[in-house]
Amino acid sequence: MKTASLSRWLMFGEWRAHYVQLLAVILAIALGVALGFSIHLINTAALNEFSAASKNLTGQSDLQVHGKQSMFDEELFPMLVQYQGVELASPVLEFDVVVPEKLENRRDHKLKVMGIDMFRATEISPDLLGVTEEGNQLDGLSDDAIFLSPAAMEWLQVERGDALQLRVGLQTITLRVAGGLVRARAGQRLAVMDIGVAQWRFEYLGLLSRIELKLAPGINHETFKVKLDDTLGEHYFVTESIEQDARVANMSRAYRVNLNMLALMALFTGTFLVFSTQALSIIRRRHQFALLRVLGMTRHQLLRQVILEGIILGIIGSLLGLAFGYAIAATAIHFLGGDLGSSFFPGVQANIHFSPLAAIIFFMVGMGVTLLGTIVPAWEAAQAKPAPALKSGGEEMAISKRSMPWFAIICLTLAMIFTQLPPVFELPIFGYLAIAQLLVGGVALMPRFAAWIFAFLMRIRGQNNSGAVATLVMARLANAPHQASIALGGVLVSFSLMVAMAIMVTSFRVSVEEWLGHVLPADLYVKAASIGDQGGFQLNEQKALADLPGFARVDFFRSLQLILDPVRPEITLMARPIDMSDPSNTIPMTDAMIASTLLPQDVIPIWVSEAMVDLYGYDVGKYVTLPVGMGSQQFFVAGVWRDYGRQFGAVQMQLTDYQTLTEDYSSNTVGLWLQPGTTASKVESVLRQLPFGDALEISWSGDIRTLSLQIFDRSFAITYLLEMVAVVIGLLGVAASFSAQTLARVKEFGMLRHIGVKRRQILALLAAEGGLLTGLGIMLGFVLGWSISLILVFIVNPQSFHWTMQMHLPWGWLTIIAAVMLVAAAITALIAGRHAISGSAVRAVREDW
Amino acid sequence: MLELRDINKAYGEQRQVLVDLSYRLKAGDYVAVMGDSGVGKSTLLNLIAGLDTPDSGEILIDGVAISSLDDDAATQLRRKDFGFVFQAFHILPHLTLVQNIALPLLLNDASFELVEQMLADVGLAGRGHDFPRQLSGGELQRVAIARALIHRPKLVLADEPTGNLDPDTAHDILMLMRQEIKANGASGIIVTHSHAAAATADYVLNLTKHGLQPATSEHSE
Amino acid sequence: MLLISLLAVNTFADTAKFKAVVPDYTLTFPHDYGVHDDFRIEWWYITGWLETENNKPLGFQVTFFRYATGQNKDNPSRFAAKYLIIAHLALSDPAVGKLMHEEKTAREGFDLAYAKQGNTDVKLDDWALVREEDGRYLVDMQGSDFGLQLSLTPTQMMLLQDKNGFSRKGPKSEQASYYYSEPHLSVTGTVIRHNKPVSVTGRAWLDHEWSSEYLDPDADGWDWVGANLDDGSSLMAFQIRRKNGGKVWAYAALRDASGHVVFFEPEQVEFTPIRTWQSPHTDAVYPVAMRIRTDEIVWQLTPLFDDQELDSRQSTGTVYWEGAVTLSKDGQPAGQGYLELTGYVQPLEM
Repeated sequence: MKTASLSRWLMFGEWRAHYVQLLAVILAIALGVALGFSIHLINTAALNEFSAASKNLTGQSDLQVHGKQSMFDEELFPMLVQYQGVELASPVLEFDVVVPEKLENRRDHKLKVMGIDMFRATEISPDLLGVTEEGNQLDGLSDDAIFLSPAAMEWLQVERGDALQLRVGLQTITLRVAGGLVRARAGQRLAVMDIGVAQWRFEYLGLLSRIELKLAPGINHETFKVKLDDTLGEHYFVTESIEQDARVANMSRAYRVNLNMLALMALFTGTFLVFSTQALSIIRRRHQFALLRVLGMTRHQLLRQVILEGIILGIIGSLLGLAFGYAIAATAIHFLGGDLGSSFFPGVQANIHFSPLAAIIFFMVGMGVTLLGTIVPAWEAAQAKPAPALKSGGEEMAISKRSMPWFAIICLTLAMIFTQLPPVFELPIFGYLAIAQLLVGGVALMPRFAAWIFAFLMRIRGQNNSGAVATLVMARLANAPHQASIALGGVLVSFSLMVAMAIMVTSFRVSVEEWLGHVLPADLYVKAASIGDQGGFQLNEQKALADLPGFARVDFFRSLQLILDPVRPEITLMARPIDMSDPSNTIPMTDAMIASTLLPQDVIPIWVSEAMVDLYGYDVGKYVTLPVGMGSQQFFVAGVWRDYGRQFGAVQMQLTDYQTLTEDYSSNTVGLWLQPGTTASKVESVLRQLPFGDALEISWSGDIRTLSLQIFDRSFAITYLLEMVAVVIGLLGVAASFSAQTLARVKEFGMLRHIGVKRRQILALLAAEGGLLTGLGIMLGFVLGWSISLILVFIVNPQSFHWTMQMHLPWGWLTIIAAVMLVAAAITALIAGRHAISGSAVRAVREDW
Repeated sequence: MLELRDINKAYGEQRQVLVDLSYRLKAGDYVAVMGDSGVGKSTLLNLIAGLDTPDSGEILIDGVAISSLDDDAATQLRRKDFGFVFQAFHILPHLTLVQNIALPLLLNDASFELVEQMLADVGLAGRGHDFPRQLSGGELQRVAIARALIHRPKLVLADEPTGNLDPDTAHDILMLMRQEIKANGASGIIVTHSHAAAATADYVLNLTKHGLQPATSEHSE
Repeated sequence: MLLISLLAVNTFADTAKFKAVVPDYTLTFPHDYGVHDDFRIEWWYITGWLETENNKPLGFQVTFFRYATGQNKDNPSRFAAKYLIIAHLALSDPAVGKLMHEEKTAREGFDLAYAKQGNTDVKLDDWALVREEDGRYLVDMQGSDFGLQLSLTPTQMMLLQDKNGFSRKGPKSEQASYYYSEPHLSVTGTVIRHNKPVSVTGRAWLDHEWSSEYLDPDADGWDWVGANLDDGSSLMAFQIRRKNGGKVWAYAALRDASGHVVFFEPEQVEFTPIRTWQSPHTDAVYPVAMRIRTDEIVWQLTPLFDDQELDSRQSTGTVYWEGAVTLSKDGQPAGQGYLELTGYVQPLEM
């Protein structure tokens, strides 16, 4: 009881006197936890909503049958209805249609339409049944009836009974809104129609997207699945809803994990702040602890005391962080939507659900970080010998043990080893661990560097007679480097993270820019309003386009989606004319490719994106099988190309090869090269005058490039935000440690004032110290950040998104942030030190602590 | 109550501080130790307090050898049986006077009803809730004396307790300390350079390279 | 007779698309056993009494509708919903105390659901009603809780209702259907309950009716009875009720064992409720016990039990009472049949 009140007195006394540092620590922990928690909440909300919405679409079926291409022959349907063990089979045709009225919004003009058989869907997906006008139940079968979810009605500004225009290939058809889908999820944009009508009106005759199965009672799902898989052969997948979830989760996993990692990095920066604040607070309290030890406090009690302080800070900070995090998440979802502007989760409206488990985990993380930052200084405080510590001037001695070069070396070595390890569960876990090790190692090496560099500077300065302040600054930095370098931990970590992110994002952006130039060689692209995998341009329309005047060259492209693995998102197959003499004229090839002349005889070459190599092992020179045309066809991987557009994989092949194999002569996109002297407006009017001119989506490659970069910037907006937070935490660290140090140096300043140093000079001294330290931090931070960016660019990105890029350093931007950091740190040091010199100089000298 | 047997202490090979030092202190004695700077007065105090260990020899408190105790046991011993008064006062700035004085009681898990009385005894009645920054040096040392005696230690160790004080204040403090040590039935060792200070002890010892010897010239009262 | 479910459907497709029922049409067989796609709606409807090996009575009802949506005429999709097949299956067991029933609906297509021409051959996934060359009907319907496998053999000639199978339903001549009945079908087969087959024998009644326009706009619903009488004669009677009381139309036919048929005019047929039962499921009040007068004869109808309401609001959306009843004449048991009461929850339209 008594010892409890002792620790309370000690704690509150300390906090009352140093509430600024206290607030800084709490804020740092809270910010870190808040970021991690909010990102987690947002991601889970978006993902849950996305998978709930897709579950809503698949209903309560036991199994689903998919084709390897996104659609398959409906002949499978009667077969499955009669298949032994199937109680109910519900056919589904799912596709996106273009809403002509929404065309001005390039990214958001499509409506998901599901064609269902209402009689067979009743039991499996009742949520998809349209609600007709009272008593007119069979209206859903009408050949113009379409049902819209509330969100879709709102988006399209229509009500029951209104006409709705939709694009089908090059035509526009008019349907009637027959009613609503009352059980659609809030925000879910969806249309439902009768499957027969949908097949007919949207030109999907004979095709289905999937068949939902409900098994008879008592049928073993596993056995049944194996048997059905066997019966259906390699062109189909039989999946359980669970795999469906996995696919949805897989689509955004890399994105989500990377965001979480960034948030953890911010928390990690916070750890250094906690560490430096706690370490400095303990140095400042060396006398106090020594006295307590002399008066009879055991090591154990002292250790407990310091750790208890840390725990309480951790609890307060983490709880605050959880509250902040929830608020941030709610605000972000409200204003930015669940995908934070990255469009990974389209068409859903996420709601945040407080999850106690996640809250507990993030609370524990916050606590862990605080304890980590507390335990080392606490241990040292407990180990210190009380008698010498009672004398003044022992600070530097006490802290010198912390330099631990072996520890830094182990960290850096581990970092090197981690960079060589493969991904875990397709995630760059070791990449991130390597970054963490680099940071820890870098910070641990910091005192050595500081001592070395400032001693070196001192020696240079010593040769010419410099001013008193400069001498004081140099002497302090060179001879008391450990204390100085603690202040630097936060600056170092936040600056290096910022440098790393800046280099990574710039490298990425420049690479994407170059890539866009390469993949968009034509001047403009014309698309038929997309109708899923159906090619919009048939042969006669292709001819009409090719015959147009004013164009130097006209290329036709055919693209469609294939599923190669039921738990992975679709890959894209693109057939186009490819320059066989050198495919890299057409495709942005990497170095991995086989020249056309060296290709084996009688093979059909394909060129695959980097993701195909990582995810499916499509190495150059391999023979692979793809479900193209009748049966599965063997192809030869002739090269690997860079693709920033489709992280789940893409394959390119010659259009002529594709047409020979499939006898599908349709095309979705046309690339057009202008003849010299043709103007843009003239070209557009020529195209619009075609019989199907109204239905064409015309995009200039310049516009596509701009738009793509806008999307790129938008999806990285969140990372900029995270960087800013890391910087704020870093500066908080500078503020906390400088105010702690200046307080500890009150006597020193008092003495300096006594012997005639002006107040202004002391301020200059503080600013110079802050600036120099930050300068060193920035220098080292740059080296560290550059190393981290290497890991991000060459390990994290390829492992999580399956694309590589070239390094580009944003010198201008780096200079600006370095300057901003430097000034901010100097000002922070000044402000923190200001009140240290405001008190009475005489009293400061007399005061013993 | 305190016995030093053949104590040797050196700092490195160059600085042999204490050589074969032996001494016996009777219970209730209040003794002053004088000597030149660097002769090992503070070292001697640290050794007695168990804050430092001798290279050889033994220190016994009521027959128990301190050097055989581990850190925790030595700490327990300090906590219970020792009181300390320092030249630099060492009063915790963020605690009130009451809290500062009560520290030893808290560490010993004892009730602290006597704190107010003790405050009055050292002449600071009614100021228990002041903070150290509101006190003068002499007042601070009064607090330190209160803290040194509040838990009724067997032995009070004072290292230059008046080194930072003016002569008048110093005299008041020394008298107070002597009075309180005697009133509480404790023994005391005061290390000092000041003859005036030494004069307040029962008798004076000189610490030299040759050991502790009773001072010949002065004798108090 | 019967109709139902789709009767709740508004006439959104105009009747002109369909063939009208005309008085001078001569039914020809086997052609008219089969489907008549040109007409809006058609059904094959079997009710009967069964007896298990230990002499427990059961009632059953099996209905297949074929309904033309009037939509998707030009739709080439194999999913095009031009025709729907709807089937109802019900079993009345006094031991259970309430009607057990199942229903299914599907669009015609993919050979999964169809009604064929030339002979009675209707299928809906694994439910089927087929008329064999020898005139025997085979019913095979397995629901999730119970099922029937029955063979129904004619023991008498078929009965063409009204004017040689032209059956009027209202004051206007186009308010009519083509309608024939096969009474006194001898039944053998099994009833499957809880996965256990139970052998049954019994007597059933089949109606086949097709039409394009049926009910008068003033009609509220109808009461219908079909009964195999113990002396080998057959009775069918119905009345179509007017919305505010009274009747729109009525009809009855009584054929004796020798094949002599007496037809009754609307004014000769009278339905009088004796006792009502309120459904706890729908709150509808049904006159489950009736007195029916056909000219001079008065028949008293007593239900096998009260709760024989068929509530298909979950699927096709209609609610009617379709129950096994016993008939008595002058206080003496006269036979067994089925009583159908429609339009007691909401007015039917067609």
